[in-house]
Amino acid sequence: MIENQSIYLALSVVLFIIGAAGAVCRRNAIVVFMCIEIMLCGVSIAFVTFSRAHHSLDGIFMVLFVMAVAAAEAAVGLAIFVLMYRKHGSIDLDKFNLLKW
Amino acid sequence: MELVFLLICGGLAVISSLLVIFARSTLHSALWMVFSFFMVAVIYVLLHAQFLAMLQVIVYAGAIMMFIIFAVMMLNLRQERDVKVNARISKVVGIAALLVLFLELMLVSLGNNLNAIQGPITDTLVATHGRVAVISNFLFADYLLPFEVVSILLTAGVIGAVVLAKRVK
Repeated sequence: MIENQSIYLALSVVLFIIGAAGAVCRRNAIVVFMCIEIMLCGVSIAFVTFSRAHHSLDGIFMVLFVMAVAAAEAAVGLAIFVLMYRKHGSIDLDKFNLLKW
Repeated sequence: MELVFLLICGGLAVISSLLVIFARSTLHSALWMVFSFFMVAVIYVLLHAQFLAMLQVIVYAGAIMMFIIFAVMMLNLRQERDVKVNARISKVVGIAALLVLFLELMLVSLGNNLNAIQGPITDTLVATHGRVAVISNFLFADYLLPFEVVSILLTAGVIGAVVLAKRVK
């Protein structure tokens, strides 16, 4: 245990839930994307907290790989948003039900 | 002292994350997101992960947010009116499920039964070798394969983005 460990973990839970609620409620695709980044930030804080508490580097490497995957995700995701905008003229996720049926 | 910084920066991170959701224009959301990333970088410094804090500022607040703001500028979005939550059944159910998840996670993370298994990275090792040296020793020995796989993933992602966004003649 490190001091204030429960506060760090509570902060990570709050950030994760805020991000998830935003991803559920908002319809703008870019805002949903940013909410997913907030969720990743919350998870990363939990990883680093446990990494510090357990005198280990595994959590830090996990966060490194999360950052790399988030960068790749940003590149591909924003390219998809540009395509959506070209095709439909908006990036409203409620209108984008191409894959629904 | 650490507690004061933790409460201030954690509170600012939570508030700016809320403002990301509730901001009216997408660009304002993106700018609050940058602020939130900086506050999370401060949290990393408080957790003695300075290397990650630097990466957070460079990769997240620099590169990824530059991508996002670039996309927002390019797409020329109108002011969206979707700040109010639609009272549709799926969103209500989603929020309720998230509240249950929140309570469960809080119960787990505030409990005292998270026993600490002590690993090899003690403070004396870090003090004698330096933090980045210790990280790179582990990264290029134990984590070499994941490192290479992630580099291939990044290359594939960038090439995929170029192919996707290319205008087909």
